[in-house]
Amino acid sequence: MKVAVAAAVLLVAASTAGARPVATPGVTSSSILIGGTVPLTGEAAAAAGVARGADAYFKYVDAKGGVLGRKITYKYVDDGYEPQRTFLDVRQLVQQDGVFAIFNSLGTSNNAAIRGFLNQAGVPQLFVASGASTFGRDYKKYPWTIGFIPTYSAEGKVYARYLLKNKRGAKIAVLYQDDDYGKELVSGLQTGLGPKKSLIVKKVGYDPTASDVRSEVAQLKASKAKVFMIFAFGKFAVQAFITANQLGWHPQIVVNDVAAATSLMQLSPPKATEGAISIVFGKDPDAPAWKRDKGLKLFRSIMTRYAAGQTPNGYYAAGMAAAYTLVDTLKKAGKNLTRKSVMTAATHLNEKSNPFVLPGIRIHTTPSYRFPISQVRLERWHKGHWVLFGPLLSAKP
Amino acid sequence: MSRRRLALNAAGFVVAAVVVAFLPRFISSYHALEWANVGIYFTALLGLNVLTGYSGQISLGHGAFMAIGGYTSAILIAHHGVRDVWTIPLAGLVAGGVGLAFGLPALRLRGFYLALATFGVAVAFPALVQKFDHFTGGSVGLPLTLHSNDWLYYLAWAIAGAGLLLGRLVLATPIGRAFRALRDSEVAAVSSGISPALYKTLAFGISSFYAGIAGALYAIAAAYVTPQTFPITLSLFLVVGLAVGGLGSLAGSVVGAILIQFLPPLAPHLGHAPPQVLEGAVLVAVMLLLPGGAAGLLRLVQSSRQS
Amino acid sequence: MAEFWQQVVSGLASGGIYASLALALVIVYRSSGVINFAQGEMATFATFLAWTLLDHGLSYWPAFALTLAIAFAGGVALERVLIRPVEGRPVLTVVILTIGLLILINGATQWIWGGATRKFPSPFSTRPIHVVSAAFSIQDLGIVGVSLAAVALLSLFFRFTKLGLGLRAAAVNPEESRLVGVRVGWMLALGWGLAAALGAVSGMMVAPVVFLDPNMMQGVLLYAFAAAMLGGLASPVGAVVGGLALGVVLNLLGTYVSTFSGQMRLVGGLAVILVVLLVRPTGLFGRTAVRRV
Repeated sequence: MKVAVAAAVLLVAASTAGARPVATPGVTSSSILIGGTVPLTGEAAAAAGVARGADAYFKYVDAKGGVLGRKITYKYVDDGYEPQRTFLDVRQLVQQDGVFAIFNSLGTSNNAAIRGFLNQAGVPQLFVASGASTFGRDYKKYPWTIGFIPTYSAEGKVYARYLLKNKRGAKIAVLYQDDDYGKELVSGLQTGLGPKKSLIVKKVGYDPTASDVRSEVAQLKASKAKVFMIFAFGKFAVQAFITANQLGWHPQIVVNDVAAATSLMQLSPPKATEGAISIVFGKDPDAPAWKRDKGLKLFRSIMTRYAAGQTPNGYYAAGMAAAYTLVDTLKKAGKNLTRKSVMTAATHLNEKSNPFVLPGIRIHTTPSYRFPISQVRLERWHKGHWVLFGPLLSAKP
Repeated sequence: MSRRRLALNAAGFVVAAVVVAFLPRFISSYHALEWANVGIYFTALLGLNVLTGYSGQISLGHGAFMAIGGYTSAILIAHHGVRDVWTIPLAGLVAGGVGLAFGLPALRLRGFYLALATFGVAVAFPALVQKFDHFTGGSVGLPLTLHSNDWLYYLAWAIAGAGLLLGRLVLATPIGRAFRALRDSEVAAVSSGISPALYKTLAFGISSFYAGIAGALYAIAAAYVTPQTFPITLSLFLVVGLAVGGLGSLAGSVVGAILIQFLPPLAPHLGHAPPQVLEGAVLVAVMLLLPGGAAGLLRLVQSSRQS
Repeated sequence: MAEFWQQVVSGLASGGIYASLALALVIVYRSSGVINFAQGEMATFATFLAWTLLDHGLSYWPAFALTLAIAFAGGVALERVLIRPVEGRPVLTVVILTIGLLILINGATQWIWGGATRKFPSPFSTRPIHVVSAAFSIQDLGIVGVSLAAVALLSLFFRFTKLGLGLRAAAVNPEESRLVGVRVGWMLALGWGLAAALGAVSGMMVAPVVFLDPNMMQGVLLYAFAAAMLGGLASPVGAVVGGLALGVVLNLLGTYVSTFSGQMRLVGGLAVILVVLLVRPTGLFGRTAVRRV
């Protein structure tokens, strides 16, 4: 027996002694290099907080010794929200800088543009900052890709279920951005309504390069619907609120998560937005409900220390949530960190302790279920703030 | 052209060809991709030079012709399984055909009006791609086969080299003389029997043929096409490259192509200003100080050396 | 039927936006024969300047007036410094120069103020008025009204003042104008200054509706071109009529012909430009120019 133990010990010692640093790009015994792309300039620049928040969190983790002795460096590059630039940036990050993985890149078409390349090159595309369901669904073709936030189609279904329960029989009018982002929200809504799909009496798409959507909103008002779904982006959502109000139309408004940032909502007069409904998965730093919350206290202290001078908002919090999950994943991948081991870890998540998402949300994945966050809560806009109501709901795609 | 000039030009071309052929051994794989893009822009600029530099017609919408070529290629590859290399000449022909068709009504437009019309086409084109999404893939786009950077580099430059030779050849024929005559004085050209309709339309066709080929290469290099692959800024940048390289100088187009590829990534390193500030400033400065572009500068240097 | 009138009214409101930028384009063209691709970006920049003045506590009308003055001066300076040296050079040089300006000014706006969307106040109330079944706001009326007022003032200026006459003369025949004592160089600069001021007005009318961000005018530029073409590039009245008509036509097309909804609106705008260029290049109100060979 003693001989066997001694032999085993010797064997283990021999194997670790002979082990050289793993020849995985971006990984050394003391560091990990992660790459990503976000719009630091251009029309979507407000969302760049996602990368900055994540970066602040990594600095916090590094100050405490990093992950299993390795410090994370997060190199995020501006792509101006243009998929062509995203593509070139990512090829540079992978081929020139030798990053270990691409993390938290923002934009649906942006991520779609790099997915083929990353999967061919065997580079993990982790926790994509887009709700398009293809990133979690098409894993058979793209095994190195995994999403993060609840999908747009799941979001549409959540709204459908809410309406069927609370606004029975009410006619629905939908304004949607005429691209994949808007169309997926619409199809989710339709699927969720099932046989009651005909409650959607009018849907109108708008051109994302247009200057205003007033004509479209006027068309929707003419349908006399009692529910108005705003599946839009940025200023178009604000215009939709304001135009509906100006036209004297006061339906129950439902606005999608991405367009519901507090800073955007506050651009419309209170009368136009009061009572609007949306979903949320993270803790909104602007919501009074989380004033004393420990998770947000941590958020604020990290922001003060590592992102001084920047305004903490929902984007930063979302970025930190993704960063927390990445650190969790890296820990799980172990000391012998390879691209394969990190994908295995990412597809076996069971995280209940993320301080930046709503309490009770379990970040959960399996190799065939790649939608880390699939629970949300509903919230209502009341007197200039988002107020949560109802229980945790399922947002399975 | 004198025998001596011809020999010098040929020698220059051979030297350049050798440099291009051996460059990938000395640079990283990613840099090979960047230089492949330079080759692609060069091909597009060759065509644009024929149109604007030689036949005097302004196009602010050549990105749209690249898009036509790029999408032709992508649709053939993604929906019909055609091997990507074979789609390139087809893409050129389709784009060239559309260019010819566009050239006819364009005859009635001059100067600013043509610039405006082509600008409008480039702005509206992505919307058309989105509209016909059942075969263009809409905003999801069409994924294509990925190739190694070195393969792309050699393909792009082989085509660029062929394009340069072809262009030189065409311009040396009576067609080229007709173009130049039209550019210098349309009235004089007409009175010597040159039909503007024929040659101007031909110029549009040739330039969009080149643009279509460049577009197909662009799509293959990106391994993916979406309506945002060919935005209005691409059209504007082509004009920038043309102007900076020098109108009427085929070799100057290389300078222009290098500018288009390397200026945007360079900009962030020169201070915190967004890249557009540098790009715009360079453009304005070149137009004010050196309207002949790089080729003009070269001519200046040459003539000052002779005197 | 109610929907039809609502769309007409909304169309007039959008059209007012196109008309105001189209006016600036027309003034530049009329005075110096150049289509300024950077007009929209200049308008955006001026609007951001106004925003800064308001942010520093100035009240609306003083900020408005000061912005106009600064814009005017900026336009004059731009013409003298950048456009004057390329006078007489080939069209392509000038086109590229204005495109360079477009890129440069857009970048400068982003650099100075960042890309976030901001609110911009309107001097008009946004309370809705209901006429029969159509609703619009005083703000919409205001936009249209301001464009009409600008056109009226400009027409008076061009027709009845010495300066206006000088501007027109300098544009049509610089050599002979010089002979009769018109300072042609300054006339051109004046034209650019006026256009820049008009652009600033346009920007300040538009920003409350579409919100202020560096790319604000990009969605308007193509339609402004279309409006200017429709009305006849050299006619201020045409620009306004063209803009209003375009707004209404695009809205109605978008509502009743499903092909033209959503993204295809742009194609609609393009179609207008192309049809006008091919069928009647001088637009509805322009006069045919005879080119001497």
